[in-house]
Amino acid sequence: MGNPLLLMWWRLLAWDDDGRRAGGPPPPEVAVPHAEASAPVFLVLRRMRAPLIVLIVVFAVSVLGLTLVPGEDAAGRPWRMGFFDAFYFMSYTATTIGFGEIPYPFTPAQRMWAMVSIYLSVIGWAYAIGSLLALLQDRAFRAALALQHVTRKVGRLGEPFLLLAGYGRAGELLGHALDGLGRRFVVLDRANERIDDLELDSFHADIPALVGDARDPGHLAVMGLGSPSCEAVVALTDDDEANLAVVMAAALLRPELPVIARATTVAMAERMQAFGSPSVVNPFDRYGDHLCLAARAPATYRLLTWLERGPGAELPALSHPPREGRWVVCGYGRLGRSLAADLRAEGLAVTVVDPGSGGADEDAGDDLVVGDGVDPDVLARAGVATAVGFVAGTDNDITNLSLVAAARRANPGLFVGARQNRPANAPLFAAMEIDTLLVPAEVVARDVYAQLATPLLWRFIQEMPRQGDAWAAELVERLTALCGRHLEGLWTLPLTPRAAPALGSWLAGGDARLGDLLRNPDDRDRQLHALVLLVVREGQATPTPGADFLLAPGDELLLTGWAAARRALATTLTVDSVREYVVSGNLVPAGWVWRRLSRDTRAPEPVAGRRPG
Amino acid sequence: MNLEKVVFGFFVVLAATLNFGFFLGDIDDPTMHNRYELFAAVVVNLIATVLKFGDRTQLGAVHLATSLVADLQLIAAALVLGYAAYVSTAGLTAATTASIVSLSGGALLANLVSVVLLVVETASFHRG
Repeated sequence: MGNPLLLMWWRLLAWDDDGRRAGGPPPPEVAVPHAEASAPVFLVLRRMRAPLIVLIVVFAVSVLGLTLVPGEDAAGRPWRMGFFDAFYFMSYTATTIGFGEIPYPFTPAQRMWAMVSIYLSVIGWAYAIGSLLALLQDRAFRAALALQHVTRKVGRLGEPFLLLAGYGRAGELLGHALDGLGRRFVVLDRANERIDDLELDSFHADIPALVGDARDPGHLAVMGLGSPSCEAVVALTDDDEANLAVVMAAALLRPELPVIARATTVAMAERMQAFGSPSVVNPFDRYGDHLCLAARAPATYRLLTWLERGPGAELPALSHPPREGRWVVCGYGRLGRSLAADLRAEGLAVTVVDPGSGGADEDAGDDLVVGDGVDPDVLARAGVATAVGFVAGTDNDITNLSLVAAARRANPGLFVGARQNRPANAPLFAAMEIDTLLVPAEVVARDVYAQLATPLLWRFIQEMPRQGDAWAAELVERLTALCGRHLEGLWTLPLTPRAAPALGSWLAGGDARLGDLLRNPDDRDRQLHALVLLVVREGQATPTPGADFLLAPGDELLLTGWAAARRALATTLTVDSVREYVVSGNLVPAGWVWRRLSRDTRAPEPVAGRRPG
Repeated sequence: MNLEKVVFGFFVVLAATLNFGFFLGDIDDPTMHNRYELFAAVVVNLIATVLKFGDRTQLGAVHLATSLVADLQLIAAALVLGYAAYVSTAGLTAATTASIVSLSGGALLANLVSVVLLVVETASFHRG
């Protein structure tokens, strides 16, 4: 079992460590509208009917005429052209090749008919070719062609892929992050321009993309909802109802698939939860949660944002939102409501400023100031001068920026949060040095990324708040000591016979300490530059286990560290002799011949303590 | 009344009748088989084929298939005729005529299937 080459083939053929493909039952049939898939051919045939018939008639009339018009042979005797000569003449005349008058020079009567034939055939050809070109330019035809193309591409996708419905800003960010990880995905978006952008964008992999409504289950089926390789569905359109439709379609047609959907209201999130158990991402709700987490446990929040940003991300600065005092929230829409509720739940006082009295109802409490926040008088009434925190959460970037400026002028010591709606305004918000910036698309993209990138990362993130702030601060210290200020790759390692064939006997021995596994195969006195973030055993999670943690078969590990460490660890897991050296220090011959020889001479005696080099 | 159906039926039936007209007569007697009739049969068959393009139904597919068979046989017959008249030194012999007519006989069978399909289609059409 410890042969790396055999293992490689095994993995190539079964391609998944978790056995997702090998073991699972075949997915149910999801109806791909067959007519749609083969439409272009029929469309061409149908549209070309009239031009082809015109062409046939023109040829037939010309040929028939040529055989009927009286001619003369070389000796001047009356002669009539046969069908063969006539068809030959028409073929080279109609295609503008023009070999001349054969087999004998034409009589005036024949020339007259030939002239008619020439003009007729030119018209026939022009009509036929014109129709064909017009068909190629036709929108419906191109859509049908694109549909067929995408259907074929998705059908040929052998690797696991994600179905991404909605390719807005969040979809784009998520797509790039997934592409960086080498994950495949397919995209469905209603807007033509977004799909054009996607095709112009540079991705490592080929991304099948289709212009279509995500609400249509047929389109989802074309994009591989029924495919056994589809591993998750992500609904990120800017329309909550379309997202709900995707959740429904996925839950009803492929109940076993994980679904992640974006929702911007609590009510919509509830409606989505009624279908299976989709993971709902609400950017406005998340912002409030994050702000409260940052206030309660700054180090945990820092670790969370670092991990969510993915490999290569720089360690974010530690932010300290005030934990006591009064907050002023401008804009009482979806964000304002959620944020005010979160802050109040945290025991903080909140004053809400909203221009429309109609929208701000009784649940805003007494601390409601009706008026336009840009008005300095309104801000003064809201008590900005005595507040500790300020959030500009309207859906207008210009308003938000001017709100922040006005609030800072009134109270320079404020902790300021703002919502950025348009990506183009990012430099302005960066220049304002907002303490905590909400970019809904980025929040969604990071959240979905954390759920999809590495199976255990999401679990780890959920475990984090329970461990306390000191633990998080220490973990950040250890991570920066290990890998610097830029996050290294994260990967999951299941200790199954398939993924770690060399570990079987060692794990079964009951004395498999984690610290031994992470030794360097080149020199076991050195540790690998890798850190185990989480061990999951039968659903029980242990965050950051120590070096003495005892591993058992079937454990799942979440690791982070250098790419070199990942490769070294893979060798330990698959090659018996390397594993033996790493965990016990015994140098065991790797080759069959040497193993035989050493067994014959000194079978049980290991060469303890010897080191290579 | 649907004009498209009229045109379609007209060409399908005309293809069969022209084919039948050419096929009729002693199999090896060149004088009984007019080459203009064969020409007309080829042209009408081609038009009937194009008219059957782009129909997605099962019946439409069989229609198209029978037409393609008839085209193939008739064009083969025309090629044999052309070869006999222009290339072969022996000219149009009784044996060549027989092969031309038997090829057109095969096409006639395909055309008859086409007509039967047309009749079946018409008979099974219920006015709702």
